[in-house]
Amino acid sequence: MFRHSRLMGIILFMAGLVAGQSVCAHAALIVAETAQAIRLHAQYDTGAPMSHAQVIIYAPDNPASPWGQGVTDRAGRFEFIPDATEGRWSLQVRQAGHGVMAHVQIGGVAPVVITATGAHEWLQRLVMVALVAWGGLGTALFVLRNRGRRDASA
Amino acid sequence: MPRFLLLCAALSFAPFALQAGSLTLFASGEDLATEGFSAPKLTKDGWALEFSRIMATFDQITAWQTDPPFMAESAEIAGAALPISGPFTVDLVTAAEDDRVALTTVDATPGHYNALSWALVPGADGFSLVLTGIARKDGQEVAFTLRAADSVLHACGEYLGDMRKGFVTETAGADLEMTLHLDHLFGRADKPSDDEMNLGALGFDGFATGGVHDITLKGLHLGHVGEGHCHVSTF
Repeated sequence: MFRHSRLMGIILFMAGLVAGQSVCAHAALIVAETAQAIRLHAQYDTGAPMSHAQVIIYAPDNPASPWGQGVTDRAGRFEFIPDATEGRWSLQVRQAGHGVMAHVQIGGVAPVVITATGAHEWLQRLVMVALVAWGGLGTALFVLRNRGRRDASA
Repeated sequence: MPRFLLLCAALSFAPFALQAGSLTLFASGEDLATEGFSAPKLTKDGWALEFSRIMATFDQITAWQTDPPFMAESAEIAGAALPISGPFTVDLVTAAEDDRVALTTVDATPGHYNALSWALVPGADGFSLVLTGIARKDGQEVAFTLRAADSVLHACGEYLGDMRKGFVTETAGADLEMTLHLDHLFGRADKPSDDEMNLGALGFDGFATGGVHDITLKGLHLGHVGEGHCHVSTF
């Protein structure tokens, strides 16, 4: 009797664990918000994009160490969302042994956009930088709660 | 004895260590100078090059703190200048493991040295750049010397490379580098033939007879700061 009740207890305990995991696994919380971002477009003076070029980002409060990095897409574009640090953000784009630098002043009335230009006469690289918004300007906050099929039927 | 040797080694490197409040200048021809052009990095016309000497003379060097940052659009740089006495004639083949040759270390006011102007000028032998070595292709072996007497002024923006450079502080020194991209002279076989660099480069076929050839640096844009660009003008 004791052995049966203990076995039943273990089974009930494990069933409870499985049920608990199931509830947790189907409860997803997604928070989405729009934000202003920096978009750079790196290209040659021929108009050809600097595809898949390395991008290194330096923040104003620690300009000697990378704040972040990434790779341009096929069109030579790269986007990131800076934090609230005001000052000069510097963006380094490198490809095939050559690089260009761009700087963006953030803060004050409006961002000062500086276009960086490689001064090569026959191998010019350009980085155009703009402040853009992902999903439009605003501070909309979307909360999507998906409890999964189990909760949906409840 | 080993400790003594270590001390000697340390003292021998001391003049070019990154001392607090100092700026150290390096020159580099990158790995193409120290290791030469070898497959797949042959010249654009398929030559392997092995250099025994690459003598370059640097002068009129000034490190700058510029705000807004100088973007190498012209020969004129505005900012706080740190002139560095020269000239310096160095062999870029005998560089350290990092392919750099140390020129000098000077005291520097703390700040970010984000621009550098410098010139290649004729040295005591009358040439600003002399490349000596052996070229090989299809069983042919040619001893060559290429020499340029041009004076070329470089007005460069910020050094670009694996690390951002030029930050001098009260507690740390910094370094900057003048870089010669030799593939802009000879081209590269591992790049497309219609690559802008290959279109502008001389290659080596024109020197295949061997011996001494005079060349001009006009329009070649060898000078950089790491991977960063320079405005180039001859004078």
